[in-house]
Amino acid sequence: MAFWQLTRLRVVYPVVLVFLLFVDGSLMAGMGGIFTAFPWYILPTLTLGWLFYAVQFEVEPDVPLWLYVIVIGVLFDMYYTGIFGTYTLAFAVAVAVMKQCHKVLDERLLSGLSVFLIGLVSFLVVTYVAGFIIGIANVSLTTFFMFEVLPTVILNTVIVALCYYPTLSLFQFLR
Amino acid sequence: MRKLFSSRAVVTIIIAFIVIVGLIAGSNWWAKRTNQPPFIQRFGNDLAGGVSRVISVPTTAIGRTANSIGNLLDTFEENQALKSKIDEFAQDKVRLQTVEEENASLKKQLKLEATLTDYKTVSAVTISRSPSTWQSQLVINKGLNSGLKKGMPVLAGAGIIGRISEVNTTNAKVALISDTSEDANRFAITIKGENGDVNGIVTSFNREKNQLIMGQVTSDNKIKSGDLVETSGLGGVIPSGLYVGKVASVSKDDYGLSKRINIEPAADLGNITTVVVAVSEIGAQ
Repeated sequence: MAFWQLTRLRVVYPVVLVFLLFVDGSLMAGMGGIFTAFPWYILPTLTLGWLFYAVQFEVEPDVPLWLYVIVIGVLFDMYYTGIFGTYTLAFAVAVAVMKQCHKVLDERLLSGLSVFLIGLVSFLVVTYVAGFIIGIANVSLTTFFMFEVLPTVILNTVIVALCYYPTLSLFQFLR
Repeated sequence: MRKLFSSRAVVTIIIAFIVIVGLIAGSNWWAKRTNQPPFIQRFGNDLAGGVSRVISVPTTAIGRTANSIGNLLDTFEENQALKSKIDEFAQDKVRLQTVEEENASLKKQLKLEATLTDYKTVSAVTISRSPSTWQSQLVINKGLNSGLKKGMPVLAGAGIIGRISEVNTTNAKVALISDTSEDANRFAITIKGENGDVNGIVTSFNREKNQLIMGQVTSDNKIKSGDLVETSGLGGVIPSGLYVGKVASVSKDDYGLSKRINIEPAADLGNITTVVVAVSEIGAQ
């Protein structure tokens, strides 16, 4: 492989995806005091943000997106929870929902953000339901939406909005 | 109207759903039964831990700076309060040393080798924390190589924060007490009441109040809020005398037959940069 090929989107995309998976964990560890200050419970979901950019900027012919969704889900389950299935499903559902919404909505920033928002909420809801299946859910639905979904959505939507245009230019450059 | 799903899609979704639910339930069951994950999972986790270690350097630094700035704001008041406490601690420390020496010599005379209060410590650094809704786990940079085993208690700051839930070769996962999975917080504790101790186990964690719950207590010994809670050492793996927290309130259970004790955990579960794993000398044998 020639060096210039390393700067192609199909190489850069998965590398950044895996990198962000670990950044999420490090952020949660490093900023845990702020993210889990009682009663809040905020999750950094940069990985899902990167998957959203793939859906929004339509990278599919260059990048085998579904393969990466499954791989990143399995990695997440293996490294962070040790229980297989939950996050593989959550990432897959979130991407499927975002793809459906992307078909309906147009390309503008605000429409894009609402696609991400819907994807993120479905992601969190799947994890909540999975918690019920194995009997570890100990928070009521109201508390979950008030103190986890709401702040998580706000934080991550702001991050995704800030990086929206830089990422768009990056994708255009790499293509 | 256009059909939303074809019958083939419905069948695929149903099969996928069954497979996923089976996978979640199956791997959860498997993780509880085994002491170590299978080789491939362990290898993957070790590799991921290595990458995580590098990435965590800058983020931990940023987190620490943010915390330092936060702490700086109330340094003055805190300093005054701490100064008044420090003399008291010096006195306690001297007393503790004397008592420890006496205890060691008495044990020697009785030819006791290790008791429930003897434990060694292994200190470790947090390299990652699962950004997940449930299964709140830390990844620490010590594993099988440092002699860690599943079930060992983990301390940070003032008290116990959880126990080891999975051991890989070079890293391990710590299930926090705020997690309701059965491995995380079911440890034997004792409450130092006015007229005698009350023994029991932590039965769950109330995330909405940030409190541990010790349920099904039938003892008549009086317990009031503020009483100290520590590990009792019963069960073997966890040494006795590890600080858990303070009693916040005592209430009746749903049927009015037994007491339910709500405990304010001593450790701050938010900021955990370094941890100490307590290796019981009896349990390790």
